Order: sequence, then structure tokens, then C-alpha cells
Amino acid sequence: MSAPPRPRLAALAIAVGLVLADSSIVVLALPQIYRDLDTSVAGVTWVLVSFNLVMALAAVPAAHLARRFGPGRAAAVGLAIFAGAGVACGLSAELSTLIAARCVQALGGAAAVTAVLELLPASVGSERRAVAIWATAGATGAALGPAAGGLLTELVSWQSIFLIQAPVAIAAGIPLLAVARHEASTSIISTELRRTGRPHLLANAALALVSSAIAAALFLLVLLLIEGWRLSPIGAAIVVSAMPLAALLGSRVGPGAGSERARAAAGAILVAGGLGGLALLPSANVALTLPPQLLVGIGLALVLSALTETALLGRAPQAIHGGWTISARHAGVAIGLIVLTPVFTSDIARQRRDAIDAGTAVVLDARVDPLLKLQLAQRLEDRLEGERGKVPTIGPVFEPLPTDPGDREDVVTLREELQDQLDRAATHAFSPSFGVGALLGLLALIPIGLARRVEL
Amino acid sequence: MSAPGRGGLLVGLAAVASLALVFIYLAAGGASYEPAKVQDPCKPRPWRDPEGLEQLAEQFSLSALDGAACKLGVSRETLARALATPQSRERFLERYGIDNAELARAIRAGLLRAVDDAERAGALNPLLAAPLRATLRRIPLDQAIELVQDARSLLDNLQGFLGPAEGLLENLFR
Repeated sequence: MSAPPRPRLAALAIAVGLVLADSSIVVLALPQIYRDLDTSVAGVTWVLVSFNLVMALAAVPAAHLARRFGPGRAAAVGLAIFAGAGVACGLSAELSTLIAARCVQALGGAAAVTAVLELLPASVGSERRAVAIWATAGATGAALGPAAGGLLTELVSWQSIFLIQAPVAIAAGIPLLAVARHEASTSIISTELRRTGRPHLLANAALALVSSAIAAALFLLVLLLIEGWRLSPIGAAIVVSAMPLAALLGSRVGPGAGSERARAAAGAILVAGGLGGLALLPSANVALTLPPQLLVGIGLALVLSALTETALLGRAPQAIHGGWTISARHAGVAIGLIVLTPVFTSDIARQRRDAIDAGTAVVLDARVDPLLKLQLAQRLEDRLEGERGKVPTIGPVFEPLPTDPGDREDVVTLREELQDQLDRAATHAFSPSFGVGALLGLLALIPIGLARRVEL
Repeated sequence: MSAPGRGGLLVGLAAVASLALVFIYLAAGGASYEPAKVQDPCKPRPWRDPEGLEQLAEQFSLSALDGAACKLGVSRETLARALATPQSRERFLERYGIDNAELARAIRAGLLRAVDDAERAGALNPLLAAPLRATLRRIPLDQAIELVQDARSLLDNLQGFLGPAEGLLENLFR
């Protein structure tokens, strides 16, 4: 009738992790896509926003379709669409086709993820365990996504992120074919449709708010590391791995540590605190991002699993309520990105201007030969024009260094002062957006707190 | 410990950890980690004690830049980058909607302010300031820009002139 339980369970978990990783996997590739497809920061953000927006809109209708036509068939077809659209993403040469393919990918992903939730209880024998596995697979995928994307971008290309998903999705879909064939040979699904209960509004509202905060943490931190502090994608991937590692730590804090509401509140506070720390970085030092990442990682594991369990447990049908949680999470990510993108793009532009002025002031006031100053000013101006719209790399402006030891020391000091001004500007440009993210995390405490008194 | 007690402890620990991180980063200067603000070019900038012609020329150039930037309503730094190359000058004129004549007037005004500042700082003999001002009022744009970028040649010539002139005046008023 169906595939053996263990491979099928693995396939189901991989399907959820793969699809939910896709909401964040391209984060580290965005700077590369931005350059390759010659677009704007706001434009490239839509590679992320489009996927999350379509997931948010399609999750609940996809869950209804899965209930009508059978979750096995819906999951298999969803994964096939996801794989095919992934190949189209990898072959896209223009931003518009990439965004269109991402939308199709999200449609397939929505069908697969919601259908899996309907299939899981039969594989693990308990609704609570099924929900826990589904939530953990999703949180793990979302947290691991950026690091995996960064590694692939650096080692292969940004296109490989999408192309590699196709065989994984197909491999995850194969064990589901037996379930799909069984559903096709019977007609029990359509006659077993039950009345759908109301979704848990407060838990889903909190999920949306906290997801937008987490998206801010991941997306903005990656941009700060790559575009602001000039780390390579692989370097940034290593740095942001702290977040999923901390999430693993957070996932060990089980129900024994407190109720779902207590874990959700603690998680939201930690996410907000971590984002607050990122908004107040005292210098451009990678190590200083680790304590905030630790807080965000532990917080996201706590809050996502607690809220998902609250939204799902005791509610039937699971696929529909799972669809609502997926919808809430992805709507939160999309809204977070839509709200934050104009904030940080305007801040980057303003800080870039301030950094250039501060850097020029450093050059003008430096005690170096006036003719050398003039040459530096000319090279700096050329550099700024060449890297229009970005925080410039200033190292080459100072090459070659003067041969005279005294002049050389003065120029090296000048270069360090100038780099300090650029680092300050790049870091400061992200502060307001991280601050808005922290606020979103704190706002999630309102529905979490209300859920204490209101039982839906 | 009861389940509500454990939940309260978890929330309390999360709040303490979050607040501790925020306060530590604030104490380490997180709220003021931003690029230095540029100074208003219209406000006087104190002259550092110039040692030798090179530093005198540098102070003169910086004062001239301040004066010209003040006249144009831009920062000293923006103007310095604008004057770096003919292309950057063209971009600047286009961006701010001004023409070469207006730029020339501003730079001449800047050079005159530099003479005032130099005179006030005791770095320029008052006897030379008046003829220098008269010369600078008529100087062509390209030469004015060259002077702003490097005033050494001007000051070098002035110093060469200063010795005999002082001797002449001393003889006249003895």
C-alpha cells in the first residue's frame, strides 16, 4: 500500500525542511544575484518576497486541495512542481523570470508542505509527535537555509542553490508515489472531508510578527556582513551558522521548561533582545554578532515550535491549520521584508553619503603631502563612481603605498581611519532596521499575552 | 517546581539575557557607533600652528575650500571631491545646477576667506594681504582651483616677495 514508515518519514521531513529552507536559502546569494542580474537592492529583495508572499497566499487553498484530492498526490505533485520551478529559477537570466519561477516554486512548496502535515500522523502514530516533527523540520530548514545558500553560492554559483533542489525534491517525492497510487485506487479522501475548525488567530498573528522579526535578523545580518563588512558569501555563511546552531540548542528546551505560551513569550523576548543587540553593535566586529545570534537562534526555536503547536494541537484537519501557520509565517516574512526594505535602502544611501563625507574629511585633515592628498581624492572619487550605490572598497585607493617609511606610516594610518568611517557608516545604516525588527518581536508578545486569557 | 513556575523562570531568564546584551552593547558605545559628522563650512575652523610652507599651504587650501563650500551651500568635503577631476567637476555642476561662473565666484570668495584667515592667524603679512586679495578677485577659474588644491606655489612666491618688501618698507618708515 505505501512505502516503509522510516524512509517515508525521512522523505516527509526532508520535503518540509527543503521547502521552508527556500524562504531563506537565497539570502546569502542576493548580493551575487544583485550584481549578476544588474538590478537594485529593492528589486532583488523580491526574489525572497515573491516566494514568501505566494506561500502565504497559497498555503490554505493548497491544504484544501490536498484534502480533496489526497495528501499523497498533493505532496508528490507539489514536490514535482517545486523541483521543475527550481530548475527554471536556476536557468533564469533575468530578474523577472527568476521572480516568476520563484512564485511557481512557492505554489508547489505550499501544496507539499501542507499535505505532508496530513500524512505525518499516520507515519509517526501520534498527532503531537507529527506536529513536533513538522515544526522542527520547518524551523531547521529555515535556519539552515542561509548557510547552505552561502556555501553553494561561494563554491559553485547562486544558480546551483535552485538546481540542487530538484533532485532532492524528487528523491523526497518518490516514497510518496506509493501513497498517491493508493489514494488514486480508492476514493476515501473525498468522502472523509470534515468540517474545518476556526484557525487559532492569536497564535497565527504572533507567528506572523515573530517571523517578520526573524526574517529581519537573517536578511539584514547577511546584507551587513556581505555588503557592509565585505565578507565573502562563504565567510558570511560561517558567521550566520551561529543562528541555526543556537536554534538546535533552543530546540532541546522542551515542554518540560514551561507551557507553550511561556516558551513562545521567552522565544519572542530573546528574538527581540538579539535584534536589539544587532541594532546596537559597538564596532564592525564579526565576533560581536555572535551573542545576538545566539539569542535569536534560541528564541526562534522556542517561539516557532511553541506557537505552531498551539495553533495545531487538537485542531482538525491538520493540513488546513498547518496551512494557516505556513500562511502566517510567510506573510510575516514578506511583510517584514516589504516594510524593512525601504527603511534600510534609504539608510544605506544616507549612510553612504555620510561615510564618504566623513572619509573625505579624514583625507583633508590628514598630515600627508598635499599632492598625495589630491591623488587620493581623485582615486577615491573614481572608486565612488565605480561602486555607485554601494559602500566602496577603499583598499585599492591607497595602492601603491609610498616608499618613504614616514609617508608610508601616515598613509596606512589614513587608510585605517578611512576604513573605520566606512565601517561605522555600514554598521549604522542597518541599526534602524534591526531596531524595527526588535520591535516586531516585542509586538508578538501582545497576541501571546492575549492568548493566555482568550481561548479560541 | 510547578509548570507555571518553570514557565515564569524561562521568561525571566530570556528577559534578563536580552536586557543584559542590550545594556552591555550600549555601555560599549553601540548608540554612538556612526560616521563622524562633517563641520559646517561657514563656521570658522581654527588654524593648526603651521610649520613651514607646506603646512601653511595646506591650511590656506582648507580655508579656501571652507569659504567656497559655504558660498555654494555644500560641505567642504563635497566640494573637495568635486574639484578632484574635470569630470567630477562637471558632475558636481550638473547635480547642483550651477555654472562655471558661479563656481568661480565661490572659489574666489573662498580664497579671499583663506587670506583673511591666514592674516588673522598671523601667518600672512598684512602688507601682502591687500595686493593678494586684488589678484585673487580676478583669477581665472582653473587657476583658482589649482590654488585651492595646492597653494604652495602662491605662498612660495609670496615668501620670495616678502623678504625684499619688508626691507623696503623698513627703509621707507625708518
